[in-house]
Amino acid sequence: MKGSRILLVDDETVFTENMSALLTARGYRVTTANSGDSAIQALGENSFDVVVLDLKMPGMDGITTLKEIKKLGLLTETLILTGHGSIDTALEAVKLGAYDYLTKPCEIDELVDKIEGAWEKKDTGEKQEMMETVRKIVESPKSVYGVYPRDKKNK
Amino acid sequence: MGKGRESSALKDYENQPRPDSHYKRLLLRFVFLTTACSLIPLLLVGWGINGHYTRFAKSRLIHSLETQLADHRKIIELFLQERTSRLHLIAWTHSLAYLETGNNLESMFTVMNRMDGSFADLGVIDAEGSHRAYAGPYDLMGKNYLGAQWFNEVLEKGVYISDVFMGFRQVPHFVIAVLRIEEGARWILRATVNSELFNALVQGMQVGKSGEIVLLNQEGVFQATPKFSGAIMGRAPFSPGGLHDGVKIETVAADEKNAPSRAHHQIVAQTWLDEPRWLLMIRQDYEEALDEVNHANRLTLFFLYISAAIILVVTFFITRYMVSVVKKRDIEAEGLNNQIMEASKLAAIGELSAGVAHEINNPLAIILTEKQIVADMIGETRRLEKGFKERLENALAQITTQVKRCKRITQNLLRFSRRTTSVIETMDLNAFIEEVIELMEREARTSGIRLLFDPGESMPPLVTDPSQLQQVFLNLITNAMDAHDGKPYGTISISTRHDPLRDGVVVKFADTGTGIPADKITRIFDPFFTTKPVGKGTGLGLSISYGIIKRLGGEISVESEVGQGTEFTISLPLSAPLQANGEDANGRRSLSPE
Repeated sequence: MKGSRILLVDDETVFTENMSALLTARGYRVTTANSGDSAIQALGENSFDVVVLDLKMPGMDGITTLKEIKKLGLLTETLILTGHGSIDTALEAVKLGAYDYLTKPCEIDELVDKIEGAWEKKDTGEKQEMMETVRKIVESPKSVYGVYPRDKKNK
Repeated sequence: MGKGRESSALKDYENQPRPDSHYKRLLLRFVFLTTACSLIPLLLVGWGINGHYTRFAKSRLIHSLETQLADHRKIIELFLQERTSRLHLIAWTHSLAYLETGNNLESMFTVMNRMDGSFADLGVIDAEGSHRAYAGPYDLMGKNYLGAQWFNEVLEKGVYISDVFMGFRQVPHFVIAVLRIEEGARWILRATVNSELFNALVQGMQVGKSGEIVLLNQEGVFQATPKFSGAIMGRAPFSPGGLHDGVKIETVAADEKNAPSRAHHQIVAQTWLDEPRWLLMIRQDYEEALDEVNHANRLTLFFLYISAAIILVVTFFITRYMVSVVKKRDIEAEGLNNQIMEASKLAAIGELSAGVAHEINNPLAIILTEKQIVADMIGETRRLEKGFKERLENALAQITTQVKRCKRITQNLLRFSRRTTSVIETMDLNAFIEEVIELMEREARTSGIRLLFDPGESMPPLVTDPSQLQQVFLNLITNAMDAHDGKPYGTISISTRHDPLRDGVVVKFADTGTGIPADKITRIFDPFFTTKPVGKGTGLGLSISYGIIKRLGGEISVESEVGQGTEFTISLPLSAPLQANGEDANGRRSLSPE
């Protein structure tokens, strides 16, 4: 979706710069982070639709970062994009809640496809959450009354 | 046609860690040590016991010689004592007058001599030395002995046994004389000892062939006839030496100068008689005296040396066998060592490749992004003419292709080094292969290749890892298809059969492809070895397959003929060994997703 907010996390600055330029050219709003810590920080300050996350980083590695992201409880979907791939880590990431898994090098189109898919999921998730909130409001009248000031006359 | 693995003899030679000379030295060292340890005690004990026995036997022999000589001396002394007693009895129980008269002396002589004939004659001699009476064969009545040594001696000592002398009869003889003092008058009773009888008595002792009995007076004159050393009354070539008590035994060296006929090492035993002072001596060849002992000695040594020889021979053969066992073990150990080294080399390569693969992916990703940037720029610009743009775009597409190729290579590398957990299941091999064929059928058909399957009958269930086995089968089929490159059509025949003898199954993959040349076929399972043109193959497929089959407890081999085709034969046990369950060549379990 055009205008989706992407958080790109990778310790290779050349990669993040290039990828950021390519994705921006394709209509995304890209923020880059070069470590797990700065990624968590960024997620605290802004909201994003999709996180594209590398696994092998100095300091906090990808899996730990993924766990931290999930702890934040956001609707943001995470896409793993890594050069250090193995079936084991892929399975682990998916179990921890990653949307999908891509290995470097990959073509920009593949990545865009996955980003779209992740956005869809997030979007659907958001919509569902909104429906949930509305339903809650509708089903419990007391809370609605609580919105207006009490009238002694109408008691 | 070439075989996929070398013959074991060649492998043995290559695996022999040390040259033959080492084993020869080892053999010699072992033989030396073993025989030294077994022979030395044997010989020491043998020689010790033998020597001890010999010494013991010799001392016994000498002791017995001593005893014999002492006994013999006693016999001679007793003889002389008895004869002296007889004379004494006669002299002191009869008067001179009686003995002088008529045949009294003669009858006395006859009676006295009847038992043994030990006297040759008997005579009565007065104090002046004249014969008063005589009984005997010689004509001595007129003879006078005044001044004779024996005469003076007997007058002085009362009893006298003389040395051998010639006397009036001119025959070597010796006398026993007894003095009688009768009412103031002195007279002598004298008897001559029978020389023959006496000699016989003296010589009557067993001394063997080389032995002789010698009787000497203190001057060294023979008193009896010796066997070898001279004649009676002659001077002995050896001196009697000084007086001594008891028996003296000594060995004397060969004396060629003095006794040329007796030039041998001799043993001499001697003892002095008390009365008369004569030396009784036995001389015997040392060798003869100890003949029995020496014989036993030699026999013992003979058996000892035979035993030693046997030990030596047996030891040599046993040691040779042992060394050959050692050599075989060395070869086996070296072979195992080499296998371990190979395995750890492969493992090291695996780890290295994994590291490299990981590291390369990042730069490759960056290359793709740069290429995309350029592609985007080319796409947007209107300033390039069509042909130029096309060429640029083609070049960029080529970059993508090559990067993707790099990715495939690294993926293969990772797969090569990956230590996966395998899942062991029971499966139906024929059904499994049919599934695999189904997977590949479309791709095969497009290449004009037919996939034929000849399933074996009554195939037992197979306990193994299906995913790994699938990887192997797919690899073999892919290779077979690639081998038909350039051919318009071909067949890949897969067959299975049960091998009850080896309790397993045999699967064959035969193709009608280009075949593998003989010089390449021995390396076909080596990692990174490929017959494909540059860029087409990684050379890892067969090496991975080989590893998998080995881990599943089986064997894989290949036969090929250039121009005709290739056939791979896989044999698998009905039940995969435990090691296939997730452990690699180093016995480590891999990480499993949990």
